[in-house]
Amino acid sequence: MSPAGCPHVNGFKVDNWKQNLRVIYQCFVWSGSAETRKRKAKSCICHMCGAHLNRLHSCLSCVFFGCFTKKHIHEHAKNKRHNLAIDLLYGGIYCFVCQDYIYDKDMEQIAKEEQRKAWKLQGRFFPLFNPSVGPSGVGEKYSTWEPTKRELELLRHNPKRRKITTNCTIGLRGLINLGNTCFMNCIVQALTHTPLLRDFFLSDRHKCEMQSNSCLVCEMSQLFQEFYSGHRSPHIPFRLLHLVWTHARHLAGYEQQDAHEFLIAALDVLHRHCKGDDNGKKANNPNNCNCIIDQIFTGGLQSDVTCQVCHGVSTTIDPFWDISLDLPGSSTPFWPLSPGGDGSTLNGESHLSGATTLTDCLRRFTRPEHLGSSAKIKCSGCHSYQESTKQLTMKKLPIVACFHLKRFEHSAKLRRKIPTYVSFPLELDMTPFMASSKESRMNGQYQQSVDVFNNDNKYSLFAVVNHQGTLESGHYTTFIRQHKDQWFKCDDAVITKASIKDVLDSEGYLLFYHKQFLEYE
Amino acid sequence: MKMEDMSLSGLDNTKLEALAQDIYSDLVEDACLGLCFEVHRAVKQGYFFLDDTDQESMKDFEIVDQPGVDIFGQVYNQWKNKECVCPNCNRSIAASRFAPHLEKCLGMGRNSSRIANRRIASSNNMNNKSESDQEDNDDVNDNDWSYGSEKKAKKRKSDKVFLHSLKQHIPLNPNSPRRSKSVKHKNGELSNSVNADPYKYNYNTGINYETLGPDELRSLLTTQCGVISEHTKKMCTRSQRCPQHTDEQRRAVRVFLLGPSASSLPDADTMVESDCYDASDGQVLMSRLQWDGSSDISPSDSASSKASTNNSDSKKPKKKKKMSLGLNSTGGGGGGSGSGGGSSSQSSLVGQSNRKKKPKLPVPPAPSIYDNLN
Repeated sequence: MSPAGCPHVNGFKVDNWKQNLRVIYQCFVWSGSAETRKRKAKSCICHMCGAHLNRLHSCLSCVFFGCFTKKHIHEHAKNKRHNLAIDLLYGGIYCFVCQDYIYDKDMEQIAKEEQRKAWKLQGRFFPLFNPSVGPSGVGEKYSTWEPTKRELELLRHNPKRRKITTNCTIGLRGLINLGNTCFMNCIVQALTHTPLLRDFFLSDRHKCEMQSNSCLVCEMSQLFQEFYSGHRSPHIPFRLLHLVWTHARHLAGYEQQDAHEFLIAALDVLHRHCKGDDNGKKANNPNNCNCIIDQIFTGGLQSDVTCQVCHGVSTTIDPFWDISLDLPGSSTPFWPLSPGGDGSTLNGESHLSGATTLTDCLRRFTRPEHLGSSAKIKCSGCHSYQESTKQLTMKKLPIVACFHLKRFEHSAKLRRKIPTYVSFPLELDMTPFMASSKESRMNGQYQQSVDVFNNDNKYSLFAVVNHQGTLESGHYTTFIRQHKDQWFKCDDAVITKASIKDVLDSEGYLLFYHKQFLEYE
Repeated sequence: MKMEDMSLSGLDNTKLEALAQDIYSDLVEDACLGLCFEVHRAVKQGYFFLDDTDQESMKDFEIVDQPGVDIFGQVYNQWKNKECVCPNCNRSIAASRFAPHLEKCLGMGRNSSRIANRRIASSNNMNNKSESDQEDNDDVNDNDWSYGSEKKAKKRKSDKVFLHSLKQHIPLNPNSPRRSKSVKHKNGELSNSVNADPYKYNYNTGINYETLGPDELRSLLTTQCGVISEHTKKMCTRSQRCPQHTDEQRRAVRVFLLGPSASSLPDADTMVESDCYDASDGQVLMSRLQWDGSSDISPSDSASSKASTNNSDSKKPKKKKKMSLGLNSTGGGGGGSGSGGGSSSQSSLVGQSNRKKKPKLPVPPAPSIYDNLN
């Protein structure tokens, strides 16, 4: 008997009680299919007052429904001496003798199984971190942790505990520079403070299938353990460096590297290793991959090429992990943006101050570009080569959007760093840059009223990587957001508190935005 | 009250609003009830107290926000003496010097960008001769630089003539390590560092053989290398001992331009000094034979970088084997006495060079790979 059970269930646990209980759960508590839902709705009413809600309970010993709030089920229990009833909303068992909800281990086991079955029938796909289902979406064998009796005892005897509150350093840790490895340190800081990635690794979701000891995902998992260990001395990421150099040869070498390049290489290796095999033998198809990296970082970029003659549009959608944005001050002209630019202050920025904003860069990125007479495209409508315009829009936004400001210019004549200040917002709405918005604009709905209830495209800034110095030599630092509105500056081994103003005034090289609202699929 | 099928269309706005409000408040109530059940269960099962913490622990982990210290309250710059263990050689290394150590330990040296270039070049362009030429030059440079700076100094003292001719290549090569390093801060496109323009590489002026008469050609060919480049169709203007082309190529071009009787190449024995270039010769020869195996560089790459100290040595002998066997195959293909003589002289060359460089690899393994050729 479990500690929270009661002796009165023994009267119930006779004969075929398990099957009976299952039937009650299947029909009246967890509705699997639409028909059962209808049946539940139609048949579950209080036998005394006819109410549908009011915390309806079903008697476990006979067919009787009674509401709890009006005490109709209590009357039934007294009259018939049926001591147990089940709550139809959450499946809890109430004992009228103990006058409390009780938790019996066997009965709970049945309840859990029936619940899982019902969810499977519903075909519900849950978001990534519903504790009852795995990342693949369909109900998996995963349950929340509950301590056993022994564990409870131990915990009671050891009251010193670490809890992550808003004023807590746990989760923050410095990283030693191994020799020009600040580019790696800043990306590691950004990744370890990506909320979804953190949740994935801390709930131990990675099941390693690689034979050798060189799985980068395992090392990443280890890294999270180090960050949340509570140690104050900086971590030495030498194993990570060794693994990255082994798997991404083009990055190897003791010299200064580009942080953006490292990010892409790291995501690529993590993506490959998530599939379990070094050689990526398992589904390496970008369209089918469901690893955590793809779930978080992969978006779809739609490219529309419009023939100038017949106005036929050919569309392709490519996956992307980051968006590289051109800046004013490079040799390619930045202004003017597309003729349709309405200078709206969608994200609370204006052009009055003269500073370029991230929204400007995005608008330039998604502007229709005339391809010129030297780059004629074969139009399938006209069956000939015609001039065309090309436009990029976002088809599918990733959960974490990384914007890369192209500050390093490598044209034929010069190589330099572009120091133009670009102001970026804390909250970003990507709606105007979506493919769907473009379609509605083309259909004549020019006045795009801001839909307050559409939260799908709203993003919050959570990490900024900055570069100080010149093209040949410089230093990377990162600003990361640990708790809501608490920012920290990570400069290799030194972590200090930073203000929001510090963050927004910084130059910005890589900007990481996280979706504000995660929906069920 | 039985449940009826209500038609929503017959209701006005206020009724609909009221209905919506009802549904909403029901949902909120149910959600609150769920939370109550969770807490109730936690208390009843006895694990509700897990949420508690002790004051002391909380104090330990509070964020410090003062100048001069980080968030843990530690002073900056006290981490100079951190050490770690290298996963490759198991030695204890100072953390801040770990990256340069690992680079040498894994045998990458300053070749890292070139290995990547070579691999990309070989996987992208199997038949592009210019890329293989590029590799040759890289190999040429590899011979020296891969030893590391200490050995480089030694070589300087011992073989001045050799290094002098080697030096010529480096500043002219647009893909020299210095140049490719400075483009590291680019926007993540690796292809930038690979020289996709074959013409840029060919830095000798070259002569168009078609405009020259036979006498001119003959006199030219007595002093110059003369091998015709595949993509520019021009003759190489370097010396007769030009490292980029083999004797065989020079012989072949003379036969091509002046007829089968012409062959006035200097004796093979005098070519001893250029033995270090054989690796590149072998490469070019292989590509001319259009044998696919030759452009597959990655196995040797990975072998060379996995080995800890013998990498640079293991590279060269391997390629030498390729070359010598390839020459045998041309002999088999139907050359004249020239090729037979050539192969013997070349293999003697190999012997000599093997003695010069530390012969670490045994000869037997190589023939097994190339057996099907013969």
